[in-house]
Amino acid sequence: MDPAIALQSIGFLTDFRESAMVYPIVMATHLTCIALFGGMILLTDLRLLGVALTSTPVSDVVNGLRWWKRIGFVIMVGCGLMLACSEAVKYAPNPFFWAKMGLLFLVGVHAVAFKPEVYDHPEKLDSGLTSKAKVAAWCSLIIWISLPIMGRLIAYYEPKDKNLQPAQAQVQVLTPEIARK
Amino acid sequence: MLVGSPIGDAMKNIGDAMNNTEWAFPLAECFHIAAFAFAIGTIAVVDLRLLGLGITRQSAAQLLKDTHKWTLWGLVVVLFAGVPIYISQPEIYNVNSAFWFKMYCILAAIVFHYAVLRPVVRAGPSPMVAKLIAIVSLLLWTGTVFGGLFIAFV
Repeated sequence: MDPAIALQSIGFLTDFRESAMVYPIVMATHLTCIALFGGMILLTDLRLLGVALTSTPVSDVVNGLRWWKRIGFVIMVGCGLMLACSEAVKYAPNPFFWAKMGLLFLVGVHAVAFKPEVYDHPEKLDSGLTSKAKVAAWCSLIIWISLPIMGRLIAYYEPKDKNLQPAQAQVQVLTPEIARK
Repeated sequence: MLVGSPIGDAMKNIGDAMNNTEWAFPLAECFHIAAFAFAIGTIAVVDLRLLGLGITRQSAAQLLKDTHKWTLWGLVVVLFAGVPIYISQPEIYNVNSAFWFKMYCILAAIVFHYAVLRPVVRAGPSPMVAKLIAIVSLLLWTGTVFGGLFIAFV
């Protein structure tokens, strides 16, 4: 069996996908996290570039928002995982989805590359922004603006031979909601 | 009502461009989302401070002053990207209850932010009042995002 079909056929994921309310609520929560916590990431980047919140020391911005961004990230990724896994058959061939996963991987690379010198010791930046901090901010800005864009574009991908795809044909058997249509 | 007027013509042209260009609609949506992250994220930092959370070593009034430019530009881009999305299919949105919920929320959120939150924060509110306006602000902006998402589901 195709792993994507197996994944989205897991009981609670099927219920989740077919729920009239829970599915959009989780998606709206995902989007709200982008607004609240994604915005905090962008604001931190702008502070590291020296263009926003300049009267607040870098360390106050980085330390003050650190845990909020972590909590937001966990909720955002948790909701995103549920959305993607429940529609695994649709997402598996979607290039925008994989571009988004690639960007998420870059979030990890970014953390490994810049956390020790920039984000773990923001007080060192209070006396002056280093070029490494600015590179970190630019990379973060590019990654975090691209992420929701790729997320949105997922909805615009249509497989060329919709009816010929074996995965699509099988899923009709597996989900009564689609079969009813 | 607007047919034949310059505004009506402009709306029709924008609507046609949105519908006849494959990438115009998703592009507008991308700007809409990136911009609301700027706008609402900067507002959320101020709201958190009013609740005594987040960047607590700076005053809420100072955070508001330092973020207001980014909030405003975010809101301007949100509206400039959102209006063409509406104009592309007004008859679809006009009958959508989630769309109207979103419109009331965003109108209330913007009025509340500029007419209530900003003057109150600058005047230095009591902790109780600060918490109250922060919660109202967060609810209105969250409601706006939820309304926007539910447009596709009602």
